Formats: sequence, C-alpha cells, structure tokens
Amino acid sequence: MSVRMPWAEKYRPKRVSEILGNKKAALELYQWVKQWSKGIPRKKAALLYGPPGTGKTTAVYAVANELGYEVIEMNASDVRRAEDVERIIARAVNVGSLFGAKGRIILFDEIDGMSGTEDRGGLSEILRVIERTKIPIVMTANNPWDPRFRPLRDVSLLIRFNRVNKNTLTKILQNICAKEGIRADYSALRLIADMSDGDVRSAINDLQAIAEGRRVVTVEDVKALLARRYREYDAFTVLKLLFSSRSAEQAKAVLSQSELDYNDLKEWIHENLPLQYSDPEELAKAYDALAKADVYLGRIIKTQNWGLLSYAIDLMTAGVAMARRHPYHFVKYRFPSRMLLLSRTKESRQIRDRVLERIARKTHISRRGAALEYLPYIRAIFHANPQMGAGIARWLELNEEMIEYIAGDKEVARRVIEYMKPRAEIRTKRRGVQGKLF
Amino acid sequence: MSEILWAEKYRPKTLDEIINQEEIVSRLKQFVKEKNVPHLLFAGPPGTGKTTAALALAHDLYGERWRENVLELNASDERGITTIRERVKEYARTVALGEIPFKLIILDEADNMTADAQQALRRIMELYTTTARFCLIANYPSKIIEPIQSRCAFFRFRPLDKEHVFERLKYIAGQEGVKVTEEGLEAIWEVSQGDMRRAINTLQAAAALGVVTAENVYKAIGMAKPKEVQEMIALALKGDFMGARDKLRILLINYGLSGIDVIKQVHREIFNPRSTIKLPEDVKVEIADLAGEVEFRIVEGADDEIQLSAFLAKLALIGKRLKSGGRS
Repeated sequence: MSVRMPWAEKYRPKRVSEILGNKKAALELYQWVKQWSKGIPRKKAALLYGPPGTGKTTAVYAVANELGYEVIEMNASDVRRAEDVERIIARAVNVGSLFGAKGRIILFDEIDGMSGTEDRGGLSEILRVIERTKIPIVMTANNPWDPRFRPLRDVSLLIRFNRVNKNTLTKILQNICAKEGIRADYSALRLIADMSDGDVRSAINDLQAIAEGRRVVTVEDVKALLARRYREYDAFTVLKLLFSSRSAEQAKAVLSQSELDYNDLKEWIHENLPLQYSDPEELAKAYDALAKADVYLGRIIKTQNWGLLSYAIDLMTAGVAMARRHPYHFVKYRFPSRMLLLSRTKESRQIRDRVLERIARKTHISRRGAALEYLPYIRAIFHANPQMGAGIARWLELNEEMIEYIAGDKEVARRVIEYMKPRAEIRTKRRGVQGKLF
Repeated sequence: MSEILWAEKYRPKTLDEIINQEEIVSRLKQFVKEKNVPHLLFAGPPGTGKTTAALALAHDLYGERWRENVLELNASDERGITTIRERVKEYARTVALGEIPFKLIILDEADNMTADAQQALRRIMELYTTTARFCLIANYPSKIIEPIQSRCAFFRFRPLDKEHVFERLKYIAGQEGVKVTEEGLEAIWEVSQGDMRRAINTLQAAAALGVVTAENVYKAIGMAKPKEVQEMIALALKGDFMGARDKLRILLINYGLSGIDVIKQVHREIFNPRSTIKLPEDVKVEIADLAGEVEFRIVEGADDEIQLSAFLAKLALIGKRLKSGGRS
C-alpha cells in the first residue's frame, strides 16, 4: 500500500540556497540563528509572520538543517496548554541539557491557531520560556497583530514573509514539473500561480491534483480544476452564512442561496461542526439537530414522502445554527474528509473484502458476519501464536497482503508468513549454510 | 494442535453429531427417513446451530455427494432481487440428481433480503416446489414476509445450555491437546453465553496463548476486539470529540464494521466490568438509552457516521458534566 506523498512535502527546500520565495526573510532567520553560536543574542525569539504557504516553516527547517540544529516542533495539532508547553520543553531538556545546549530550535508553529480555552495559559507559558531560554525559539503566525500576541512581539525578532510573486511561483512549479517528468504549458502553470494568491503550498497542491499521473498539463486542465474549486468556495460561503445566522429564517435561507444540495450540505456540516463549535453544549445540540435531519432524510428515502424534506432542512440549517451560544468566530472550514477517506482507503478496503470473502466461503457466513465473528479472533491468534495463525492462513489460502491486513502489524504478519513456508524450504536454507562451511 | 479454525473443524457433519436442540434434530431426522422435506425456516440467535443443522440435514438426505444437490447462498452478500431471479430460479428449476426428487436451497441470513427479493422468492417457492425445497435461515424471523413464513415449517433455535457448551469445549480441547481450567470455561461462557461459535472461537484464541485460563481468555478477547472502540469512548468522554470521530472513522472504514456493530460494541464496553472506562451506574443507563436510539435510527435507514457522531458529541457533554461534578 503506497501512500501518496504530497509534492509540497517532497519538494520542500532542504537548504536555504534552494529557497526561491521570500529568500531575504529566510536569510535573515539564518543570520539570527547563526548568532547563537557566538552567544545569546538580544532577541531570544523570532516571530515569522505572513500569509499561509509563504515558506515560514520551510525556512525554519532549512536553516536548522543547514546549521545542524534539530527542530522540536509544537503545532496546531498538539494541544498547547501551559502544561503541554512545559512538557515539550521538558522533553527537549531531557534529551540534552536544554538551557545551555546548542543544537536545538524550538518551533511553535501557527501560534494564532492556539485557542483561548483549550490551550489555556499556552501563550504566557511560551513567553516565560523565552525569558529563560538559552536556545533559539521560533514562532510562526499568519496574523501577528492580534493584541494577544503583543507581549510576544515585544520580545521577538519580527521577520515578515510576503506572498510569493507569480514569476517565482511559476518557476517553482516549472522545477517540480521537470523533476516529475511532466510537460506543462507555461500558461497553465501561470494560471495556477495566478489563482494561488501567492500561496506556494496551495499552488503545488493544485499542480499535483491536476498533473499527477499525467505526462502533459494544459490550460484546459487547470480550468477544469477551477470549476470544481468554485463549488467548494460556494460551500465555504454557505457554512459561514449558516453558522453566523442570527435567526432561524436567516439560517433557513442559506440553502436557497447556493448551488449546494441538502445531501452535500449535510456532509459539509458534519465535517465542520466540531471546528465551528468547540463548546460541548453547542456541539451536542447542533449534532442532535443534524442527526434528526438525517433521520428525516432516511424516512424520505424509505417512504418517498418528500413533504418531510422541509423538516429535514429546518433541522440541518436553523437547528444547527441556533445551537450557537457564543459569538460567531471565523474558522477555516475543510472539505468533507469522509469522501477523501473512502477513496484513499480504497485499496485496503478491497483487500479487506477479499479477506472476508475467503473467510465467508470457508465458514458459511456472510462477509459482515466474517468481519464480526471470525476476523477479530483470527487477528488475536496471529498475534498470540503465529504458528497456529500460519495454519489458519494456509487453510484460508491467504496471501501476504491479506495476512498483513488481518495482523494490522508488519512484524506480526512477517512471523506468520515465516511459519507458512514449507518445512523443506527452511531445511534447504540450513543445508545451504552448511554447504558453504564445508 | 491442528491449525484450522476449530469452529469449522468441529462443526457437526451429520444430524447425529448435533448435541443440543434435540427436538429440532429429531424432527429433521424424521424428514430424512421419509425422504421428504417441507420448506424450512430456521430462526434463532447467532451460534445456535441453524446453519449447521441445515448442512447436516443436506448431508444426511443426499449422502456424501450432498454438494451436488445443495445451493448455499448467503442473503446478506447476495440480497438483491437479481440473485433471487437468476441464481435461485435457475437452480430451482433444474432436476435433482439421485433418488431424492428435489434439491435443497439454503438461504442463510435470509432476514437481510430486500422486500422485493422476498416477493420474488415467494413466487419461486410456489412454482418449483416439485424440484426444490428451501431452507431459510434468519436471526429475526419477523423480518421475513408473512407469505413466506406461512409456507415454511418453522423451527426456533434456542441459545445453548451451559452444560452443552462446556461439554463441547472440553471435547474440542481434549482432541486438540489443550489444557482448560474451570475458570477458563466460565470466562468463555461469560462472553459467549449460548453462542457456540463465539465460544469455540474464544477457546481457540485463548488456546493460542497457552493453557485456557480465565486470564488467557480475557487477554485473547482484549486482543480480538478493536481497541478503537474503547479509545473512542474514552476520547469522547475526555472532551476530545475530533479524536473520537477519527477513531469512529477507523472502525467504520478500515475495519469495515457497520454502525450497528459499532454501537453494540460500545454498549458492551460501557457495561463491561473489566473495562478501563469507569462510569457512575446511572450514567451507564443514560448511555444505554442513547445507544439504543442510535441503533434504532440506523436500522430505520439513517446514516451511521452521522448518528454515531451525534452520539459521541453527547458523550462529550456527559464527560464535561461528570468532570464538573454535576448530575443533570
């Protein structure tokens, strides 16, 4: 099962010299980190700021790599309460002697993603760390002018990252195409650069979405993507309107203002509810409304009574919007990941279905029954006793990839497979060794 | 120790080998003696011997070459009207080989057939009675349409008695040269009750670890159930809804469990005395109520991921309430 590597990762510059966009900013960071080898500089932290995809994090890693530093990162996917910040610092200290040692940079990525409630005390803890630190602290942010960041701004070297200009961006895309062996029209790449708004990551993602697996990329291909993007844009707008509605009427109106149908809207809300509502009361109430809307939609399918649709829509629009107890705040919505997940896991689900098919055939049960009544026990046997597992695998005529799926663990699968080899083969191997000895 | 699934290896091949359900077995033997079988409907919970009885009946009726006269279909996998029309009809209309004038069509998990497939089946049962007899197997006979039920001889299978289960498990252990303790058997009973398949699977998974002690039984069960169920509940109660929903997606998409399977496992976990999730007794009841509603809605046709997500959001709320020490 190969996992698709995002090109934005694959082609992330590893050295400062490879950086094309915001090179000046990267060099400024380079100079600042370099000062640390001669003693602690006046500003003990650097705050890199600028729009998404302009190379802030890339610059940190490239500089670190070039000067031989290790980066210890804490980003938005980690909870960053005071104690969490403390813990990561402690970890860094434990490895070497942090307050004193060179060789590490602590990176607090996307500090504007720190939430006031969940990451309570996180910002002030970072401030305390900066006061005491003997190693470089780097932070990144999209918008550093939020009043919350003022104390941090005061003690940090501010380095600004600008939107990457279109010529540079086009050049970056051209380089990637050359490495991937893709022939792309200049105008196509230029169009991608145009619509990316100076965001290198999104431009590369777009390029990958359009070009991966192809030899040639034309302007038409890019325009097709744009059309798709427009619908997505529509969904973002609808969500924003919905979640900021002040009345039930306003909320109910959003669906009629868009191209989205209610099934799509259901998916979008489902994906983004927990992003919008961080208060458990809001979340539970909104989910309750969405789940009820879903029940109505099920009844409509069953009874073909379309008169029920208006109730379903009331619940998923007004019901979801009126669950809000706190003022509306902006969040970055995301594409429903259920669909992405289904396509990404297609291969492993196919293996799973073949495994279940094998079990079902031998045990007179449905595939679902096999998943429930047999698969878990076979998995347990694989882990507990690879020899017995090998017997079962042979009996079910499983291949290596199926065994790996069941085991859910490469090492366990390897042991089972080892036992499946005919005895003769193991013996020959041994004889082979002896042959060499004599 | 042999190395195939014991539940299959020790499945009784003939009616004589079936140790429980005496009444049913004796009536089935009567059919064999008369060389005539009506349409049959076997109903009862999982692991009570329905499929085994159907296969054993086929074996006794047709002898060693029974496979030539039997079509075994699993309606959960092939539940549509097309299968019924094409495969079943095609098979039903052709003449049987040998001295029995009809073939046997075993439709396992028939309660999962769609309504229109059942209607089609009903017609076929009438039209081809001379050349084919049906044995329908179901967990829930109420999901079989009335006209089919009325055409079948009805057999209700009951969960197995503890003595029968123990007797069988001891027999298998003896054959396999596995040591079993009394506590081990009790532990297997606790998780399988009268479900023989689950009992044997548990026995084998525990035997894979060594002597079948209570400790090994619980360890095997721990290894067998997806750890994500417990993790999902814990994350939700802790207030990490996103984390919990990610686990849910793993269960639904990677493990391929249905929403009903997931909610049932959640329910079991909540009331499992050995679970690491500790909840006040009244809260367990509250969650059972929520879980029941989720299952009901999914059966009715609602979307499992959305219903379960709403359930997790409620768990998060309960978790918050417990943390603050409040009760309502």
